[in-house]
Amino acid sequence: MAKHETPLLDQLESGPWPSFVSDMKLEAEVRAKNEAGIEFQIPVDVVDDLMGVLELSYVHGRTHWKHGGIVGVFGYGGGVIGRYCDQPEMFPGVAHFHTVRVAQPAGKYYKADYLRQLMDIWQMRGSGMTNMHGSTGDIIFLGTRTEQLEEIFYELTHNLNTDLGGSGSNLRTPADCIGSSRCEFSCYDTNALCHFLTNLYQDELHRPAFPYKFKFKFDGCPNGCVASIARSDMSFIGTWKDDIRIDQEAVQAYIGGEIAPNGGAFKGRDWGAFDIQKEVIDLCPTECMWMEGKELKIDNKECNRCMHCINAMPRALRVGQDTGLSILVGAKAPILDGQQMGSLLAPFVEVNPEDDYAAVTEVIESIWDWWMEEGKNRERLGELIRRAGFQKMLEVTGIKADARHVSEPRCNPYIFWKEDEVPGGWERDVKEYRKHHKR
Amino acid sequence: MALPDNAKEMVLDYIEKKSKTKSKFYLKDFYTIFPDEGPRTVKNFINKLVGEGILEYWSSGSSTMIGLKGAGKQAGAEGE
Amino acid sequence: MAFVSSGYNPAVPMENRITDIGPRHFEEFYPPVIKANKGKWLYHEIIEPGVLVHVAESGDEVYTVRCGGARLMSGTLIREICDIADKHCDGYLRFTTRNNIEFMVDSKDKVEALKADLKDRKFAGGSFKFPIGGTGAGISNIVHTQGWIHCHTPATDGSGTVKATMDEMFTDFQDMRLPAKLRIAMACCLNMCGAVHCSDIAILGYHRKPPMIDHEYLDKQCEIPLAIASCPTAAIKPAKHELPDGTKVNSLAINNERCMYCGNCYTMCPSLPISDTEGDGIVLMVGGKISNRINPPKFSKVVVAFIENEMPRWPTMTQTIRRMVEAYASDARKYERVGDWAERIGWERFFEKCELEFTHHLIDDFRDHAYYTWRQSTQFKF
Repeated sequence: MAKHETPLLDQLESGPWPSFVSDMKLEAEVRAKNEAGIEFQIPVDVVDDLMGVLELSYVHGRTHWKHGGIVGVFGYGGGVIGRYCDQPEMFPGVAHFHTVRVAQPAGKYYKADYLRQLMDIWQMRGSGMTNMHGSTGDIIFLGTRTEQLEEIFYELTHNLNTDLGGSGSNLRTPADCIGSSRCEFSCYDTNALCHFLTNLYQDELHRPAFPYKFKFKFDGCPNGCVASIARSDMSFIGTWKDDIRIDQEAVQAYIGGEIAPNGGAFKGRDWGAFDIQKEVIDLCPTECMWMEGKELKIDNKECNRCMHCINAMPRALRVGQDTGLSILVGAKAPILDGQQMGSLLAPFVEVNPEDDYAAVTEVIESIWDWWMEEGKNRERLGELIRRAGFQKMLEVTGIKADARHVSEPRCNPYIFWKEDEVPGGWERDVKEYRKHHKR
Repeated sequence: MALPDNAKEMVLDYIEKKSKTKSKFYLKDFYTIFPDEGPRTVKNFINKLVGEGILEYWSSGSSTMIGLKGAGKQAGAEGE
Repeated sequence: MAFVSSGYNPAVPMENRITDIGPRHFEEFYPPVIKANKGKWLYHEIIEPGVLVHVAESGDEVYTVRCGGARLMSGTLIREICDIADKHCDGYLRFTTRNNIEFMVDSKDKVEALKADLKDRKFAGGSFKFPIGGTGAGISNIVHTQGWIHCHTPATDGSGTVKATMDEMFTDFQDMRLPAKLRIAMACCLNMCGAVHCSDIAILGYHRKPPMIDHEYLDKQCEIPLAIASCPTAAIKPAKHELPDGTKVNSLAINNERCMYCGNCYTMCPSLPISDTEGDGIVLMVGGKISNRINPPKFSKVVVAFIENEMPRWPTMTQTIRRMVEAYASDARKYERVGDWAERIGWERFFEKCELEFTHHLIDDFRDHAYYTWRQSTQFKF
């Protein structure tokens, strides 16, 4: 029998979409029966109490959690979020219920034995409930008691060669799209770069270094499946400089209807025959494509690599081979001064694992040095850029201003010149001036 | 520039002076103790004091603060 | 319940301590066909909703079956996922950014058995454990935040609003009939732990009341300077307060006009609770995207200023989303995202076609951004 009645949550068991309520009931039942003979280190009925407190929130329309200041294991400034229930007598199993963030492998690839080992730790030392995955990308272990934190960390590091993720004023656990591991659009190996930088910056990830949170995300191409341009302080988006590769026979196969456009993404409706003029050439934002007889032509110099034609005809068109990445900076959610999209800082950076991605880390570290020095408490990089000016960021990164940095030049002429930019500087001799200009 | 020999005392003095009003500080607050040092040097030193068990972190989840181990009104309440 | 030590000795925390080792290396978890063909993929095709094939230069193929999953997931269910991976995929699997589970096999003749196995698995309550879908011009899984399951400042629930929405939109998870892909995201308060501000449709939990002040306990529980410093709009200042019994206590005063209901002060000070049954609810935003395809990424816009929390299934919210999706499905052009469609027909027409009321709350009045969203033109539609 269920420990708490949950009539409201029970209504979320019906319907086709996987029910988290059914899943929690399953976990509660498995714990109660304990057929595996696990020596539970937190209360056996923790999931029952979790459902109980959630039901109470459904009754009240209010949360029943309080924040705690626990930040991590000894010496770490992140990786754990403290959480306490505000009805501990009613739900003692979740009176202390802290989150543990666990570093996920790049690309979110797993093997079953590893996931089982993670669950061996978590079902014994925690609630057994997880998020696969949290919004930033970590594996989230949802709810354990303070005294289990070091034990979990010890087992993760000693037995599973796995570390905690980031939280607080740290570098947050970097996350990537699937990249070239399984995507033909990817212009670089996102998994490799994400893994490399995650390891290179473990100190910044685990110990507070910054005025506020800082996020890296890695997208293999301008389609941006991991949304780096919207939600990371530094966004690394794959791109290319040379020509889109064209297979003219495949172009004809699309025109002839032998291949479904857009990788078959529109199969659910009859949109009529594929019309290359209407669906590809006319939708090209730079109007740099045309047909010459049976040949598709692209004026690659004018292409802005929006990906539409490649997405629409993936068997006929491929990204170029002179690949690298663009770095955009300053994206964030609306708190406080409004939402910001990443702004282009470095149009093209080489991705070279042979020299430990020196071109990438150079930009990262110059940005960090500036932000650590100039950023106010709780000021995201994007806000600092707005406060100090885009030019200042170019100055600290040593990147030359370029028309690519703006969508349009400024509308106001209020240009602030620096003294050394004006011949002769600002110190002038008024007596000399008065020789020719009476008072 | 290296940190002065009594850097630890300087940090503890700073915390003591402010202790009447608050027990937790942002990392940047500690920069002001060592105006001639780069942020990275100060950060590494403060984090070292945490490693020695003298200071400790406190997190709001989104940002992290630093204070004397065990100080502050919430520490007792949480039984941590 | 006997304490079982991991080997950690609290008396000497630094003994044998391992730190800063990061995540496991991804290559340990690549299926062999992925490892062999990495960087050499030629093209992909969605064979049917939820089933993809990627073809490599070598001629190798990898077939992927994508399943929706609740982000809130039990260890027991994860073990079942592992069993499926062992049975069909040599133990390999992956998760997507949108909380989908992907099972990969290296030949077409393994796909049907995998699909059949996944389709048959249901929870006791009747819902699918592993619904196949989430590809192409349809609705993929919702990325979301914790909500009432585990957060101290949410204005609504995460898992529940998502379950209710995905039940309503389920056929579009398993179909590809829309003019383009449609991405829904959910965040349970305006701090947006999961940034939802660039989604085709965003569900956002929102508080409408400033925090209460528990004067009697505030100075005992909280450090006043930290509570003051936590406010991003500087709406909090120190104040003396006289309790009913005449005792004077140190406390705070809040400038309610300046409060933007972020809950940061409650994080620092438990004597400033913010949640409220009537005050809290849902904001709906529309028209954002993160892809650079055809036109640049764009932000979502607020189109419904408030819907009250209707536990457990939020019917007003799901029906409003359904109306917007149907209007979009019937009116937009192929390849046009929701935001592109709204911009082409004009937002005045968007409200009309989606049967949404335009209210004064939808006109921006927050700082510099606001002016740029007012109409500086005589070009509008009647």
